[in-house]
Amino acid sequence: MKIGKILTISNMSISVLLEKYEVSNRDTIYVEHDGQKVFFEIANVDGSVAVAIPIGSIYGLKKGLDVYLQPGGLRIEYSDNILGHVFGAFGETIDNTVIEEPQTKNIYEKNLSMAEIDVQGDILKTGIKALDFFAPMQKGFKMGLLGGAGIGKTVLIKELINNVYKGSGSNSVFVGIGERSREGRELIDDMEESNLLEKLGIVFGQMGENAMSRSRAAQSGLTIAEYLRDEKYQDVLLFIDNIYRFLQANSEISAELGNMPIESGYSTTLLTEISEVMERINSTDTGSITSFQAIYIPADDITDLAVNSIMTHLDGQVVLSRSIAEKGIYPAVDVFNTNSKLLSIEGVGERHFKLVEKAVAYFARYNELEEIVAVLGIDELAEQDMNIFYRSRKLRNYFTQPMFVTEQFTGIPGQFVELEDVLRDAEDILEGRYDHHDEADFSYIGAIDQN
Amino acid sequence: MSITQASDPIKGRIEAIKEQNNVYGVGRVARMKGYIVEVSGMENVGYFERVSIADKAEGYVSRIGRGAVTIELVKQNAPLFVGDEVSASGEVFGAYFSMDSIGKVVDMFAEDKMTGNIFKDREPIGAIPAPIPIMDRTKVHRPLYTGLSSIDMMYPIGRGQRQLIIGDKKTGKTQIGLDAIVNQRGQNTICIYVALGKSKKTVKEVYADLLARGAMEYTIILAAFQDDGAPALYMTPNVALSIANIYMRAGGDVLVVLDDLTTHANIYREISLLAGKVPGRDAYPADIFYLHASLLEQGCQHKDGGSITILPIVETRGGEITDYVSTNIISITDGQIVLSAKAFEKGQKPALIFGLSVSRLGGAVQTDEMKKLGAAVRQELLAYLETREVFELVNLDEMNDEMRRKLARGNTIMSRINQYKFSPLTPDEMLSRFSNLDGED
Repeated sequence: MKIGKILTISNMSISVLLEKYEVSNRDTIYVEHDGQKVFFEIANVDGSVAVAIPIGSIYGLKKGLDVYLQPGGLRIEYSDNILGHVFGAFGETIDNTVIEEPQTKNIYEKNLSMAEIDVQGDILKTGIKALDFFAPMQKGFKMGLLGGAGIGKTVLIKELINNVYKGSGSNSVFVGIGERSREGRELIDDMEESNLLEKLGIVFGQMGENAMSRSRAAQSGLTIAEYLRDEKYQDVLLFIDNIYRFLQANSEISAELGNMPIESGYSTTLLTEISEVMERINSTDTGSITSFQAIYIPADDITDLAVNSIMTHLDGQVVLSRSIAEKGIYPAVDVFNTNSKLLSIEGVGERHFKLVEKAVAYFARYNELEEIVAVLGIDELAEQDMNIFYRSRKLRNYFTQPMFVTEQFTGIPGQFVELEDVLRDAEDILEGRYDHHDEADFSYIGAIDQN
Repeated sequence: MSITQASDPIKGRIEAIKEQNNVYGVGRVARMKGYIVEVSGMENVGYFERVSIADKAEGYVSRIGRGAVTIELVKQNAPLFVGDEVSASGEVFGAYFSMDSIGKVVDMFAEDKMTGNIFKDREPIGAIPAPIPIMDRTKVHRPLYTGLSSIDMMYPIGRGQRQLIIGDKKTGKTQIGLDAIVNQRGQNTICIYVALGKSKKTVKEVYADLLARGAMEYTIILAAFQDDGAPALYMTPNVALSIANIYMRAGGDVLVVLDDLTTHANIYREISLLAGKVPGRDAYPADIFYLHASLLEQGCQHKDGGSITILPIVETRGGEITDYVSTNIISITDGQIVLSAKAFEKGQKPALIFGLSVSRLGGAVQTDEMKKLGAAVRQELLAYLETREVFELVNLDEMNDEMRRKLARGNTIMSRINQYKFSPLTPDEMLSRFSNLDGED
């Protein structure tokens, strides 16, 4: 249906002079140019003028071109066909496959009501020592993996896919937002090699693509996760790498629309946008969505507004720190900022809880001692502090871990470590059972060999 | 004669005028703000269409407004006046390239900067390459040797990798790029050195350096000088990747050195603010991440065999690598080589900061021997540096033998890693240099 003509064009938006006014926000419209359809999504309507954001390339478009309405808006497959396919942000397959008889659904689903949301869940083991110990995970949780540029978020997400998804037997959804296409391609290959691709639904809106693509990948990915939860009654694992890029893309769109920016140039509607997405990631009593979400920290600024608005929605978070990564310690977990709602005596039991408390206290004291040692030398420390100093270093080394997904880079085989072993080893180190061992022996191992 | 019949010729006339407008859409300069020009008329111009203002200037359409069209000038050789005639070309704006550019210093219009001549056989190429689909990529696994042991062994670069070189002024950033280019001799690799906002003298020196070492035989220097105007500076890295794409799609390996993206970011900020866009963090426009992401995502190992390796360079101030643009680019690239002014002053060359440098592809792009030795040396070096920091003031005599040996080996690694500029090592030379660390130096 023809609805009007192009009035103005700029970098990331067009305005349309409407002839018919039955259009609303988030309607999809298109123009025909060089025999191709160029799609747009309506962002706002002001009387007889609608502003729309392009989904594809707008080079060469002209004023006065006829604009048509695409009924149904942005849609993605909503059937068992989502598994084993790779989708772009707008629901199109990008793995050179075609879905016969597509059954699609609009990507902007309504949120769950309070009555529908279920908060119960079992503990979920990740096999990663630092995570299971400092940030235990529960089914239905939203776990954030936060870190600045280049300190190991994506490796951690990949390791979680390896450890949790491969062992779970359930279907999963991976949403790649604004990350590297190379890694996207590697994920597809890895999944194919381990015969897991057919159990996985993948949506990509990667960093080389425009803001709309990066923004809408989130909603498209959620729609297919919801299909598995609501129609197949499954416990779904949802991996999002990287949810920060969703807000970043939205701020690009917002700026292009000329909206007034807030702090650091983020879009005015930042809080609404993140809530809209996060509220969809929930569990019902017939199915659950457990999500691991990588969160990029721009300019290493953990007080960043977008990062904080995401954190509000999380049930737990693992923070990775550059100062730790600098020392060659991976995963570079900053234990002081890492936490989980589950970490209480009721949630994980007294032994685990007390051990975490003690470990964090040791690390806190270690940081103070490090400065003292740098000035006075190690021999000046009291015996108790000397114990804390050496045991903390051992414990810190112990929480490094060889990863399955980095085996081919490091040459060290990956390790899945049971929580029971972690608790035993942490206890042993803290109580001094390994005082006579060299600290280097604890780096990049699994559980401590009991023989 | 009925009314309908009578209106037909009139319709025809109107159609004809419209048709003509398509080809010869003309307008007049109404306002000027630096290189951003507002034009009235030009109802039928396309977005990003190439336009020219008499013989005086050339640019592209950056905005089509209700009553006026905004143009950004890429080239200008005479002053403009309000009322100057602006004509459309009917084609999307693009750059030009000639296959004869190898061995030359050229700009995005295929002009030989040394002679001032424009290549006769220049062909139009897209100024902004389309994204490379995920399925057209494949694993990055072949090594690209720079000849520097600190990089090839510890933070290796693969063909199709994007490896950032970041550091303060005068820390040897460009030199690493040039070392890498010189070391491609005999490797069947086309190199493109992109000089952004550099002085003409600097570019000429780079040219002389590369020429003296025979590297110009396979290298194109694509330059946009400071006086070329902001839109040309902004566009040139994209053009470099368009050129790289031509060679990659023909199955070739390409190495692109972008020197540097800090200048690029600042130029883009300048254009955006002048064009009235909303400023974000540090006054950069909201799409500054996308600007660099879309550029660097052109680097890849293509499934058909070709590859584009990109070494973008970023200049920091006061060693601060966590500022906005730097972290943006770190989050795009497949690793970073971080250089330190302090290490440079102490005579360590290349002046890498080992703890902060990373190659995300690591061993995947190394031979088994290099992977094994490289990982061991890196692990030992990092442990040494951390130990040295904590135990800096501890007397050497009070240490146990194990610790003393550790420190001695660390010292040896540090001294063997030093390499003077343009003195590359082969992988075999590196292996023998680092396989025995306990011996005398």
